[in-house]
Amino acid sequence: MTTLTKDTTSTLSAQGNQQKTMPFLAQVSMMSWRSIVTLARTPAAVLPSLFISGFFLFIYEATLGNAADSIPGLSSGGYLAFILPLSIISASLSGAGVAGQNLVRDIENGYFDKLLLTPISRSALLLGQIIAGAMVLLLQTLIILGVGLLMGLDSATGVGGYLVVIAFSVILGTGFAGFSVGVALRTNSAAATQGAGFIFFPLTFLTATFVPVDLLGGWLKTAAQLNPITYILEAMRSVLLTGWDSEKLLTGVLACVVIGGIPFLYSLTSLRARTRRK
Amino acid sequence: MANREIVAENLVKRYGDFAAVDGVSFKVDDGEIFGFLGPNGAGKSTAILMLTTLGLPTEGRATVGGFDVVSQAADVRRVAGVALQDIGLDPLMKSMELLTIQGQLFGLSRRDSQSRAKELLEIVKLADVTDRPVGKYSGGMRRRLDLAMALIHEPSILFLDEPTTGLDPASRRDVWTEVRRLNKEQGMTIFLTTQYLEEADELADRIAIIVKGKIEAEGQPAELKSGLGSESINVIFSDVETAESAQSKLSDMVERTQLDRKTLRLYLKDAATRIPAVVNILSESNIQPVSLTLTQPTLDDVFLQVTGERFEEETKTEAELA
Repeated sequence: MTTLTKDTTSTLSAQGNQQKTMPFLAQVSMMSWRSIVTLARTPAAVLPSLFISGFFLFIYEATLGNAADSIPGLSSGGYLAFILPLSIISASLSGAGVAGQNLVRDIENGYFDKLLLTPISRSALLLGQIIAGAMVLLLQTLIILGVGLLMGLDSATGVGGYLVVIAFSVILGTGFAGFSVGVALRTNSAAATQGAGFIFFPLTFLTATFVPVDLLGGWLKTAAQLNPITYILEAMRSVLLTGWDSEKLLTGVLACVVIGGIPFLYSLTSLRARTRRK
Repeated sequence: MANREIVAENLVKRYGDFAAVDGVSFKVDDGEIFGFLGPNGAGKSTAILMLTTLGLPTEGRATVGGFDVVSQAADVRRVAGVALQDIGLDPLMKSMELLTIQGQLFGLSRRDSQSRAKELLEIVKLADVTDRPVGKYSGGMRRRLDLAMALIHEPSILFLDEPTTGLDPASRRDVWTEVRRLNKEQGMTIFLTTQYLEEADELADRIAIIVKGKIEAEGQPAELKSGLGSESINVIFSDVETAESAQSKLSDMVERTQLDRKTLRLYLKDAATRIPAVVNILSESNIQPVSLTLTQPTLDDVFLQVTGERFEEETKTEAELA
């Protein structure tokens, strides 16, 4: 009998071979489901960020929609498709805290320790919260898209474009949810976790927020070119406004991996730091 | 035959300069109930955290069921059931959900986990409140569900960290009955911490008294008590000075005396027959006791002997500091 992995959940001991372990994916889906159920039982924790999602889109379009006719490169009525990706990203940032707050709740009521006492994989423990959080952000994206469609949104690439937008929002959402989980593990504080998403908030303004990047000037243009959000916005905008552009999509995916992946790794190192400190 | 022993060798847990557990060694035998007795802040919970793999020891080693708590943590988690002092239940969930998830994480199928959960809910008398979220449970109900959580995977070793703290006397009795039953019927080895002398005396086969991170005394409750002499005479005086002068007059005729403010304790063999002699010496010296009683030694006396402080007072000052 050999021990195949270093993962503690699958380490087989001399007498442990008759003991079964729940498969990793089953653990992840069970813990995700459990988090989603508890989120559904606390609608007050989720509703504000769902509401804000629709609100962002509505207010941006209402304020700037009519002025958009004078912006070069944007056809009349195209401003909705232009501003929609920004609404999705802003909403994801403001809703990112949900995953972390759910975890803070578990830590505070002691359930987190109870789970640590089982042979559950440590990453399944985090992924459950992160996936549930990402689902909330996905729901937000769907609401924004729904509101957009009601307002006359039309994608240049058809249904495929909407799927791309949804895919981007899921990757971003997973990263943001991971970040809030990391903050939760390090601070144990609901308030800090709630605020965590807003660290990224300036990034949504240091970019081609309201006009295309070519129209920006001076330091803001430089900032926008360094900001990964710019490339995600451009990728999402390209599928909605102009059509399939593989270069823009690829850069967008890379930017997504940067801005979503780093926070995600942060959550994993936070868990390690936490279990070591105790 | 599975190993059900717990062995700790020079276990140390330091937080900065402060040693919460300061070199603790003990062995709990198969099927034994072992009580860790000490005031708040003595290091009991910290010791449990290390033994149950939630905290890493700074120094020393420990095995639970033969598995090392550091290098074989996953195996320790399988053989050990743990109910921590802070109850670990999500108030939004229901008892069946909590128990089923817990069981599945230990490798039970969903169906097995559910039937085991039902069985346990009967045992802890929560079968009729399964539709209520746990947040609506009383303290005693939550404590019982937490115990059921610890038992879902049929552990061979059970850790209970202050299982009755904050419970009313009736719920406390229920927990005691269940602990005894698990130990008798299933031969479960039970490690329990408590700050109640009565609880240690009632349940434990063997106890260790832990003070400021160190084990100060260890043995069977009866053994520890008899180590003090068979009985003692408890004399209370009106003030501390009188008690002190009485102590100096009486110390020659008894094995040992212990003065705690106005209370003088005389440890001696055949205490009952020596009461007249004690009264004589006191009246010859014109000392009037307020009361004089004959007492069997209690664990409190043991505690007083090893620490020089009364258990309850120690507990109180620790609580005030916290």
